[in-house]
Amino acid sequence: MNSFFKKNGPLISTYFIIAIVFWLIFLIIIPQLYMLDLSFRPNLPPLLRGGPDDVHTLVHYKHFIFGSETSNDPYNYVDIGVFLNTIFTAIMVTIINLCFCYPIAFYMAKVAKPNSARLLIVALIIPFWINELLRSFALRILFAGEGVINNILLATGLIDTGINFIALDIALYTGLTYAYILLMIFPLYNAIESLDTNQLEAAKDLGSSTFRTHWRIVIPHAKAGIASGCTMVFMLTAGALATPVVLSSPNTYWFTQLIYQWFNMNDNWSRGSAYSILLLSVSVVFVLLMMRIFKVKIGEIVR
Amino acid sequence: MKSQHFLNILLGIYIFIFLTYLFGPLLIMSVTAFNSAEFPSITPWECFSWRWFQEGKIAYDGQHLAGLSTDWRLHDGLIKSLIIGLGVVCLSVPIGMAASIVLTQVHSRLRTIFYSVSIMPVLFPGVIIGISTVVLWDRIATIGGEGFLSDIGRNGIFLTILGQTCFISTYCFLIFVARLQRFDQTQEEAALDLGASQTQVFFKILIPYLMPAIASAAVIAFLASFENYNTTVFSILSDQTLTTVIASKVRLGISPAISALALVIIALTLMAAIIYEILRRREDKKKKERQDQLIYEQTKDSRLKKEKTGSFKIPKFIFVIILLIIMGTFGFNQLIKNDLYGNKCVSAAESAKKSNFAEQLKLLQQNADTVDEKSLEGGNLGGNQDYGDIFGDENLFKDFGGFE
Repeated sequence: MNSFFKKNGPLISTYFIIAIVFWLIFLIIIPQLYMLDLSFRPNLPPLLRGGPDDVHTLVHYKHFIFGSETSNDPYNYVDIGVFLNTIFTAIMVTIINLCFCYPIAFYMAKVAKPNSARLLIVALIIPFWINELLRSFALRILFAGEGVINNILLATGLIDTGINFIALDIALYTGLTYAYILLMIFPLYNAIESLDTNQLEAAKDLGSSTFRTHWRIVIPHAKAGIASGCTMVFMLTAGALATPVVLSSPNTYWFTQLIYQWFNMNDNWSRGSAYSILLLSVSVVFVLLMMRIFKVKIGEIVR
Repeated sequence: MKSQHFLNILLGIYIFIFLTYLFGPLLIMSVTAFNSAEFPSITPWECFSWRWFQEGKIAYDGQHLAGLSTDWRLHDGLIKSLIIGLGVVCLSVPIGMAASIVLTQVHSRLRTIFYSVSIMPVLFPGVIIGISTVVLWDRIATIGGEGFLSDIGRNGIFLTILGQTCFISTYCFLIFVARLQRFDQTQEEAALDLGASQTQVFFKILIPYLMPAIASAAVIAFLASFENYNTTVFSILSDQTLTTVIASKVRLGISPAISALALVIIALTLMAAIIYEILRRREDKKKKERQDQLIYEQTKDSRLKKEKTGSFKIPKFIFVIILLIIMGTFGFNQLIKNDLYGNKCVSAAESAKKSNFAEQLKLLQQNADTVDEKSLEGGNLGGNQDYGDIFGDENLFKDFGGFE
């Protein structure tokens, strides 16, 4: 500590300490811990808080599993269903994105000329500086009942009646795949770019097929990028709120929408917190899983 | 070799499809902003019009659809978004910088822990950061009783700045870490040996070195804050930012005014990207010229010397711009020729729709006499502020005389 002050001088040291303590303690750690605590407390009006009723309880987590006391079902099928559906869809979106982006990333990193690769990168970035809501809105225009796709299909005579893409959740899944695709491309691109091109040529000279070259050389080399891309896409998809708000059908819920409902419409903050903790723990488990599967450190995932 | 060629063609097609997937929806959305119909679409094309950028319209069934320039809620949200963005930049850039510099000074275990905690916010879902900020500050406000704490603890803008700073600081942190990795620490030591104080070293050496990172961190922080929705929707409480306004609009019903807004944002983004690319090319060119100069000076031998050609080259993109202008004028002329632009077309479409509506109404009345015509007419009875002073515009209501 002393050497820290000596190295930076008193003024700068104070600035460093204030900035870091403010960020790490007040913005990151305390809010999360307080939310964790709140999720174990009953939902009380402000006046009763801190009183004798304010005890730790598992009531919100019980509600998630068993449902409200008045319902007849043994388990809370609705909420659990939404939860599992969200996770399952997020995993599917991640896999689809990975398959989609791998050829593009490989092309940009190894096949294209540097100038055109850079142009492609700039071109790819542009759609992602546009608000997620507006991008979803663009898809909504395409998929709406009287939208562009339906009109084209009807005009060409492929279908007789309009398809309700939104009720079928096709719009939602397309939107989620669309939303975070860039976060898959860039880690992959960075990872593949660092591969020595000579290795690819050597493999080719030794008679390896294209598929085998990718499977044995490119993918093992790019595993940090794959882990990073998959983690980011999964996290953002599972925690997405904007895209489901715009594109989900009235009877499909995304887990974040459930949280939103408990929080803002039903004013049950502690239950909202409990559900948030569930989402957070899924995220943490997924990160740990990725670190274990691909044998990478957390620093390699976030860059 | 032949199979390789085939594979490349396949890859080309794939990339084309991919780019279509990325840009197609945005392109179609941009085009719908110019269709005068009240539902954003292309195929039943009504008229080419600027109305969604201006005052919007009142639909034939009395629905109010505000345009960009008259939508006060959008303007309000925009101002708040700008304030929040500024606040986030002011907080997160210094925080990210401090954290990244300290990271270079701590070692081993502490370094790992510090780094892990610092990048955690990026791995949290945005909604959770919003919620945790709100619940904590609500508690602080309750404990603080009446007064300052209670005021700021329930102030949506303040909470949003804090919530966004939590994870945007990590973005800044990562940018600074990348830049600091290439920092030559002997510079600092040299300055100290020459008698500079630590504070001087910080301001005279470290800050100038970090300047490019500071600039890009500020830009990234502002943009990330500006387009954030997941955190903001919780932490903003009763206020509204641009994104929450858009979200509530989209949820209520889709209007071409949102397409118009998106087009404005797309245009701004494109402009920024082009400027960035031009600047970068210029820098590359300068660098190359400097290198050439170096080679030129070092070689006495004339083999590498090149005659400098002084001829002026016309940049290629000018042709693209000229082509676009020609195409634009041609298309516009076609629109005017076919009566697809201007007030005449709009009013024709309007009256066609109105008569269509009136026919349906008649049909309804034949079927059931109980239909109350007044309630269907609606229109200018339930005016709201969304519409500003549009009711003063006589032209709009000239042929809106009911359904006699």
